[in-house]
Amino acid sequence: MADQQSPKTVTLTIDSQKVTVPKGTTLLRAAEAIGIEIPHYCYHPGLSSPAMCRMCLVEVEGWPKLAPSCKEVAQEGQVVFTESDKARRQRTGVLEFYLVNHPLDCPICDQSGECKLQDFVFSEGRRHGRGREPKRVLGRDDFGGDVLFNADRCVMCTRCVRFMREVAEDERLTVVERGNRAIIDTFFERGLDGSPFAGNIVDICPVGALISKDFLHKARAWDLDRTPSVCPSCSQGCNITLDTRDNLVQRLKPRENLEVNGWWMCDFGRHNYEWINRGDRLEAPLVDGRATGWPEALESLLSRLHEASGSGKGVTWAHAPNEEMGMLRALMEHLGGGEAVYRSPRAPDETPLPGFPLLIRRKELAPNDRGAEIFGFERVGDQNGEGGLEGVAQHDGVLVVVGDPLTDAGEDFGSKAELFVYLGTRGSPAASNAHFVLPITTFAEQEGTYTNVQGRVQRFWPGLRAPGVARPGWFILGALLAELSGSDVPTSADRAFALVAERAPEFSGISYKDLGNRGAPVNHPASVSGD
Amino acid sequence: MSEARKIPFNNPGWAGNTGEFSLTEEEVRGHDYVGRRPPAGGHPSGASSYPYMLAKKDPDAPLFAGAYRERFDKLRTRYPDARSALLPTLGMAQELRGYLSPGTMDEVAALLDLSPAYVRGVATFYTMYNKRPVGRFLIQVCTNISCSLCGGDDVLNAFLNNTGTELGETSEDGLFTVVEAECLAACGFPTTVQINSRYYENVTPKDVPEILERLKAQGE
Amino acid sequence: MAYPYAHEKEVRILSKHFGEPEARTLEGWKARGGYRTLDRAFEMGRDRVIEEVKASGLRGRGGAGFPAGVKWSFMPKEKTRPHYLLCNADESEPGTFKDRELLRWTPHQLIEGMIIAAYAIQAEQAYVYCRGEFFETTQILARAIEEAYEAGFLGQNILGSGVNLDMTVHCGGGAYICGEETALMNSLEGRRGTPRVKPPFPAQAGYLGMPSTVNNVETLSSVPFIIGEGAEAYRKNGTQESPGTKLFCVSGHVRKPGNYELPLGFPLMELINDVCGGVKQGRKLKGVIPGGSSVPILDAEECADCELSFEGVIKAGSQLGCASVIVMDDSTDIVKEVRRMVGFYAHESCGQCTPCREGSAWTEKILRRIEEGRGTEEDLDTLVEVTSQMEGTTICVLSDSVAAPVQSSIKKFREEYLARIRTGEKVGAA
Repeated sequence: MADQQSPKTVTLTIDSQKVTVPKGTTLLRAAEAIGIEIPHYCYHPGLSSPAMCRMCLVEVEGWPKLAPSCKEVAQEGQVVFTESDKARRQRTGVLEFYLVNHPLDCPICDQSGECKLQDFVFSEGRRHGRGREPKRVLGRDDFGGDVLFNADRCVMCTRCVRFMREVAEDERLTVVERGNRAIIDTFFERGLDGSPFAGNIVDICPVGALISKDFLHKARAWDLDRTPSVCPSCSQGCNITLDTRDNLVQRLKPRENLEVNGWWMCDFGRHNYEWINRGDRLEAPLVDGRATGWPEALESLLSRLHEASGSGKGVTWAHAPNEEMGMLRALMEHLGGGEAVYRSPRAPDETPLPGFPLLIRRKELAPNDRGAEIFGFERVGDQNGEGGLEGVAQHDGVLVVVGDPLTDAGEDFGSKAELFVYLGTRGSPAASNAHFVLPITTFAEQEGTYTNVQGRVQRFWPGLRAPGVARPGWFILGALLAELSGSDVPTSADRAFALVAERAPEFSGISYKDLGNRGAPVNHPASVSGD
Repeated sequence: MSEARKIPFNNPGWAGNTGEFSLTEEEVRGHDYVGRRPPAGGHPSGASSYPYMLAKKDPDAPLFAGAYRERFDKLRTRYPDARSALLPTLGMAQELRGYLSPGTMDEVAALLDLSPAYVRGVATFYTMYNKRPVGRFLIQVCTNISCSLCGGDDVLNAFLNNTGTELGETSEDGLFTVVEAECLAACGFPTTVQINSRYYENVTPKDVPEILERLKAQGE
Repeated sequence: MAYPYAHEKEVRILSKHFGEPEARTLEGWKARGGYRTLDRAFEMGRDRVIEEVKASGLRGRGGAGFPAGVKWSFMPKEKTRPHYLLCNADESEPGTFKDRELLRWTPHQLIEGMIIAAYAIQAEQAYVYCRGEFFETTQILARAIEEAYEAGFLGQNILGSGVNLDMTVHCGGGAYICGEETALMNSLEGRRGTPRVKPPFPAQAGYLGMPSTVNNVETLSSVPFIIGEGAEAYRKNGTQESPGTKLFCVSGHVRKPGNYELPLGFPLMELINDVCGGVKQGRKLKGVIPGGSSVPILDAEECADCELSFEGVIKAGSQLGCASVIVMDDSTDIVKEVRRMVGFYAHESCGQCTPCREGSAWTEKILRRIEEGRGTEEDLDTLVEVTSQMEGTTICVLSDSVAAPVQSSIKKFREEYLARIRTGEKVGAA
């Protein structure tokens, strides 16, 4: 298209389509750019390219041998065929070699349904095997941590070895022996225990050789629904997927986001999902201890709010999404200003991922400390996220608690309040003192945004159905605010976001559409507040 | 056309097909026809190429103390980085201890600042590093193409029968382990057998009992 | 003279002093005319040395036959990073035993050649990668290097010329694949000896990512003659495309196996019948592997007109490789020998590339089954197809080496396979 090629790009033809890519791009990436997926095993964008699986070989016009597209750099004017006879035969041949020793474990293998070997063999493998020899049997090995290794299934792509060496920079896996006897192993009994990122090797293993003990035989891949979300375990905000079935979260998996977490997540966040599945949830609004429906509860609450004369105090926690926090702030202002505090636990140190320096498991063990700061909440409480509520416990005006379960607060918390409104997911002795106990959804059951430690606003989507008649916090607060201030009732999360964005210059001009599923940085992100 | 002249065999390591073993270990190792014997620790350029399995094997011997530490230090100076010294270091460790146990690999890894898993990966790649204890005499019989054409399998069987072992097993008295080896690069002298660090060439099944007697007598 | 049998048809350049123990010592070597070419080389200057070696047409003696002078000219002319010269003494190709003799009898010849080569490619560090099994050989070489250091032929300021060279003997751990140049560099770096993808080539990124050149022992040992006598003298022997002499390692069913130094282009049958005394009384030639077990087998017909040069053997249907002639008479059990060769490759495969790792072991298993009499005729087609799926698709050429004996033997000795399959009959006397 361009008459003048800038010297920084090259134009080549792949499968009869022209594509222009920056100099230094490999053929595989160039093909990706036009939507052609070349099958591969050992290549991974986050790791080095050893070109050893020999699956990605493509035919280049004029070359006697096939070229490994994960390694071969695109040159000007090359003509590349990924689906020619030679290339297809090559792939069929390599797949046959994989299946020579690969056990027929599909019925009992967790990877079934998301297995690259299944996928490629189904599309391009031989219809019938012709290996008559007994297969090599190696058995199962516990690698420590959460990882189980089925040696028979291993296709020796060495992604796991390279991940531990290059990204985790903790070389605990190696290839032992050579030739057909080669297999992955640890240093004898020293396994992956204590490695904070070892769970990632289960993600990158293309077959079911490395599997998660936690997920073992739990659910079939094709039964799972996958919802994009954001990890709530620390303020790094790794992009994740909620894999759900039967309205339960079965596992968390990282999503690619080169600005935040690359292709990885830490084991701490990965395994911290059971709390989302807990059943002891508030399911219906309680007005003075009596369960009612939303219309009654909201009407009653509004009239009490109008009557209330005392000042307001607000409590939230760093798990509340931006929309909730923003609405609470607005409500506080309506009640004549007053204290607005939040609590958030802290770890004594952080755990970086050496090979991908952007990803660090942060000290803030909750997802939205930045959001709380932006909306002007003050942090109270100790490093466990407890205490600090002395100032509000005996408040005699309007007390609004959003999210924070108050599990550590005393039984007389809020007992003196003129009006105590509690929006939360679970009950507690302190919460039972509330005049209004309103059930809200967790992050997994609603749409919303979190602001991570780098000042990046990221969206998450609902993967579960809310229990009972629980609603998102912004929905309830938005309805209240609409009555009190005459603003519009936000009927969707993006409208709620637009409303709260008006309150904070950091969010001005940002809309859900801009955020997409990779997020965007806030305006003038300040430096990370460290404590 | 003159007759092809047979050169007198002055080839150290050659057992000869006459069955006479008149060469002593000294003569085999040799020092009086190739310069001077290197100083203790060896010349740095070849510090690791000392006769192996000459010293008595001790699986608990301290690694890299005394003369061996000297050799390691000299060896280390020959390479720009520590990782390159790994193979000769593993060779030296095996010389002392007879085989590479997990503990040995751990110590070598600590010495060279590499991860133990990495050292394990490298050690298991190469055939010569024993991962388990072997007999006093590791008998490696070449059965590759050239020796196989000249009866290598018979020599292997002769060794197995005469030592009373199965392939890869150590004999009861702990003296002999017989394994198959790949081409030892002495194909013109079939069948070649490598016992510890010495090559025995032109071995026939008849020679085998004598060789074993000699080994036992040397009591090395 | 070659070793252990001499023959008058030999042209003794490299092997002139085989069998003479004094030739191993520095004094003995100097008395035999050694170390005279160093001054000549330093006088000529780097570029002329490379031109001279290019003009001589010296081709790599390690099996690939790549012109050595051209390889040296790939090294960067401007030296901005350390250059390395690596000598490949990892002689593990079945049938090959010439490098061992060169190292045992004339180590100083190699050292002299390496000094000239290192000078030409501006390397100040040289490593001789010896296979680990060569204990005696590395000792001899290490002592020769020590003598060279003492005499001032190695180390700083060689012979006052300002050239520095440090040479080290590095012992391998026992892996055939480390004879491949990039695997050798990996092994030298203390890694698993797995071959690297080329490009980048060793001259751009070799040992430790620095420009390196890997040459075979015989290639480097030929350099002193070329510099001393000139490229023309070197070209007097051999053919136009394959100049010079070569150490032919003859083994197998001949009366006088051993190393023979003959000009390239020497007829194969003359080598077997005349020089080596022919096959045993009463036996006929069945087949010959002309270049180590990695090249196709030639049957007796194809051997008749075969000339042992790089182009001559290609014409006959095989490759010269490292010129290790393995002679098989009619007592050979082809099925067993091919199985043994493929077993060797399956054992030595590094395990990186899927076709080689799985294919070599699978091929061996099928051949074993055929050898034990439990094969079927489809197995032969499977073997040919599977090995052709392996060829040309991998990082190094080990998988091509598996394909060569299998495909050539099935093509040329099919009746033997069929006899084995159908009746379990072993062709050839036991």
